[in-house]
Amino acid sequence: MAISLQKGGNVNLSKEAPGMKKMRVGLGWDTRATDGDGFDLDASAFLLNGAGKVRSDADFIFYNQTKSADGSIQHAGDNRTGAGEGDDESIVIELDKVPADIEKISVCVTIHEAEARRQNFGMVSAAYVRCVNGDSNVEVARYDLSEDASVETAMVFGEIYRNNGEWKFKAVGQGFAGGLGPLAKNFGVSV
Amino acid sequence: MAISLQKGGNVSLSKTNPNLKNVLIGLGWDVRSTSGDDFDLDASVFMVGTNGKVRSDADFIFYNQLRSACGSVEHTGDNRTGDADGDDEGVKVVLDKVPATIERLVVAVTIHDADARRQNFGMVTGAFIRLVNIDNDAEIVRFDLSEDASVETAMIFGEVYRNNGEWKFRAVGQGYSGGLHALATAHGIQVQ
Repeated sequence: MAISLQKGGNVNLSKEAPGMKKMRVGLGWDTRATDGDGFDLDASAFLLNGAGKVRSDADFIFYNQTKSADGSIQHAGDNRTGAGEGDDESIVIELDKVPADIEKISVCVTIHEAEARRQNFGMVSAAYVRCVNGDSNVEVARYDLSEDASVETAMVFGEIYRNNGEWKFKAVGQGFAGGLGPLAKNFGVSV
Repeated sequence: MAISLQKGGNVSLSKTNPNLKNVLIGLGWDVRSTSGDDFDLDASVFMVGTNGKVRSDADFIFYNQLRSACGSVEHTGDNRTGDADGDDEGVKVVLDKVPATIERLVVAVTIHDADARRQNFGMVTGAFIRLVNIDNDAEIVRFDLSEDASVETAMIFGEVYRNNGEWKFRAVGQGYSGGLHALATAHGIQVQ
């Protein structure tokens, strides 16, 4: 059963999706019906070591670098308008292939050129980000961006992390000022 | 104390005012001080379901159809110049009476005859939308449209909507090209 995340919510992955090998992060939103620049939301993932930083820039998976070196993470590509049914962008994580020195994977959503376009998640219709059990296709958790991240332009959706040999998912749901650049820098990417 | 919202922001009406029953959506703007045709702004409300559309043309409340069939939404009438102190046009909503299948009340403002009069919102000053608790006259939330020089002639000001069993208000402030005609069509009204 999917859990709709409120701010600060938490999901125990091993209870919700025991033995899950493949996790898919899905980002979706409606195309803009009102006037102005289109809404271009971007999903990204950061492979982080025990210090909470990337080992190298290759650990930053986003629209310009869609595959991790070890093949554990694959981004399905940039969607610049939200056109299409269901998830508009997605990132698939094969948990078994994640290198041993990676302690957690942080999943984020940003709005492209939010400052210049003067946009925030509240202006976008039906924006959400969700985690789906890639094996069973059952939704594990969902966060309503339009409603609960309304005045944000970038946010850390959640973290998939190791704990005692299992993978767990922690909902973060925290906004981040500045957009993808500062967010990436925060995780140690050279921007 | 009234909350001032930024574009895209939302606020829970149920949380800030648990006994809220009757709200007035007040729309105001300043009278034109420069020469030319008056600015005639018109408020309208689309009562939409989860599909974002009205159930029928009766769910479109505006200057030619002032009252919803269920009586939950009522427009106070057309103001053609913006000459009132405070609200120039208003829409009253009785929250309890809004039919269960209606998810959102989309509040829009359009400029009458904008094309013929060659007017747009950028030329109008002091435009605002506010929500007032009719029972105690307290202003709950106000959204001031910034001076975005805008070439729009129609705009969605905000939405009163249901979320998880409570009523909320979202400040939208986004333009819509094509005027009232396009806005109405987009929400499922059959326009001649």
